[in-house]
Amino acid sequence: MGKVMIEVKDLKTKYVTRNHEDVYAVDGVSFKIEEGKSLGVAGESGCGKSTLALSVMGYYFAPLHYMSGDIIIDGKSISGMDPDEVRKHVLGTEIAYIPQAAMNALNPTQKVINFLYDVVHAHHPKMPKKDIREMAEKRFEELALPKDVLDRYSVELSGGMKQRTVIAVSTILSPKVLIADEPSSALDVTSQKLVIKMMRELMEKGYIKSMMFITHELPLLYNVTDDIMVMYAGQIVEKGTAKELVFDPTHPYSHALMGSILVPEEGTRGKKLPALPGTPPNLKHPPAGCRFAARCPYATQECKFYQVPVKEFGEGRMYRCLKGIDELKEAYSHE
Amino acid sequence: MKGLRKFILKKILWFFITLIVAVFLNFILPRLMPSDPVATITSKMAEGLTDTAAVQRIYEHYQKEFGTDKPIMVQFFIYVKNLLHGDMGTSFSQYPRSVASILSSAIGWTIALQLPAILVGWFLGNFFGAVAAYKRKGWDKIFMPISIFISNIPAFGFAVIMLVVFAVKLKIAPTSGGYAYDMIPNFSWKFIKSVLYHYQLPFWTIVITTIGGQAIGMRSMSIYELNADYVKYSRFLGIKDRKVVKYVFRNAMLPQITGLALSMATMIGGNLVAEMIFSYPGIGSQIYAGITTSDYPLISGSTLIITIMVLIMTTLLDLICGIIDPRVKAAQFDS
Repeated sequence: MGKVMIEVKDLKTKYVTRNHEDVYAVDGVSFKIEEGKSLGVAGESGCGKSTLALSVMGYYFAPLHYMSGDIIIDGKSISGMDPDEVRKHVLGTEIAYIPQAAMNALNPTQKVINFLYDVVHAHHPKMPKKDIREMAEKRFEELALPKDVLDRYSVELSGGMKQRTVIAVSTILSPKVLIADEPSSALDVTSQKLVIKMMRELMEKGYIKSMMFITHELPLLYNVTDDIMVMYAGQIVEKGTAKELVFDPTHPYSHALMGSILVPEEGTRGKKLPALPGTPPNLKHPPAGCRFAARCPYATQECKFYQVPVKEFGEGRMYRCLKGIDELKEAYSHE
Repeated sequence: MKGLRKFILKKILWFFITLIVAVFLNFILPRLMPSDPVATITSKMAEGLTDTAAVQRIYEHYQKEFGTDKPIMVQFFIYVKNLLHGDMGTSFSQYPRSVASILSSAIGWTIALQLPAILVGWFLGNFFGAVAAYKRKGWDKIFMPISIFISNIPAFGFAVIMLVVFAVKLKIAPTSGGYAYDMIPNFSWKFIKSVLYHYQLPFWTIVITTIGGQAIGMRSMSIYELNADYVKYSRFLGIKDRKVVKYVFRNAMLPQITGLALSMATMIGGNLVAEMIFSYPGIGSQIYAGITTSDYPLISGSTLIITIMVLIMTTLLDLICGIIDPRVKAAQFDS
């Protein structure tokens, strides 16, 4: 077992709306990522993936609020830390973030290198600009990015190039954890491949020690990450290795997600994919029982009212469902 | 750098095209007024004369001197020809003073009043707008209604209010003029003190009426920029708020510079009317004198000077904007 880079224990965060209502967006999430490993987070829109990313960074600002739980990065707890402290000592150096909309993540009126100066100076105020440039040039070269990108404005870069620049900028200080929130969702397949390749290189060369990869594209997760957890309505409903989750999903929601992937082969044209009707529940008033019960094809009366326990099985796998594994497998085999 | 030269040349070309149109309009518009200034002068000169033939002779003499006996197109070409020699004709109402000499004594007053006032108002407006956007809450709630209210009062309306309150009721400022009427302009301390004393009311009138509109524009631009993705991204990399705010306000300022260029003409126009109300010895008062006496050359000359001033400012601001904003630069230089 490698060294644990990030461990999150029973993390709960909420959004407070304009009308002072609480929305429990991340509800009791626990996971850990070891050195050199990557964790994928899957789920449909609105189920709390991006909020989880923001919550894990420990930098809270309205309307997101921390409630309880622990975030431990490389042995140091950052939960409950002052946001300004987090910003100074954690963000960028311990945890780095690649935003969902990387297209607009760079200031349009600033050259990439000047932004890099600011990023590095925020953590090492005395580092001379010459050294930063040297470091950036070296890093860009290793990641197969043209060096002249440094002296360009973001408006002069193509979409894929912008995304890769953002990744390089985010990881310039070699953070322990990289959180990538749908880094490739707005790109064409070629750029996507380059982005993925780059993230792999970052890991192999040790510029990042671990990674959390958020996406709704399951085939991508299977190719990129070691483990996958599936999120639904602010909770983790299933966790396991990438292979296990893709080929042997246990929870009905994971099962439905995997079932919605189309593998292009003979005869798939015009084939109707099974779609899951409905949308995730409103988390202002989460259901008393299983949060997925309303959409679950196998739900019974009990599911709607009983608290659902987390069940662990196999090697570090878990799922959150009232039904037993055999019972679920049996149900899936009849489809 | 070829693009830059092309960009500047294009702007200068437009400068001249606009100038030619402006010269034509400046010439033609006052001459469409339904009165005969030559008759006015003649009646003034011929006071006490009873001989109709003599009066007729005087009329024809002046007609020849001012060139009003020729067709209007011919007059235009003579006007342009004289203009190129720096001769804007002779004033009707202040005969035999030349328009050039009247304006050269007035323009200094106008520039010294308007340029600092507009710039101060612009800076203050942008500053307050930025603060309102950044602080929101209480500050915003008090400041915005006041700004909206003030920005809708025209400069001349506000001038009257200022005059009544400070000069008539409180008697802490003079009612009119650029300096005490019993003085002759010179560089003595006493004269300068008098000028500064007379400067206050017109200056603050223009500053205050400029602030409102600029503040509203800056506020909404800043709010837009504060929510931009690059702001969040910069924060997530640990960059201090002080730096991030700098990015935001720099980007929010750029459209404000264009805005200043666009509203320069309207502002100066409105401010000229304010000048008239304070009987400030600038071009505004000369235009007023010219209009009341159908003094075509004086009106044409004054408006031409103003037009050229506005044109130069607009072109300069355009050039500045094109050079400091990489987005405009990219768009302009590529085409």
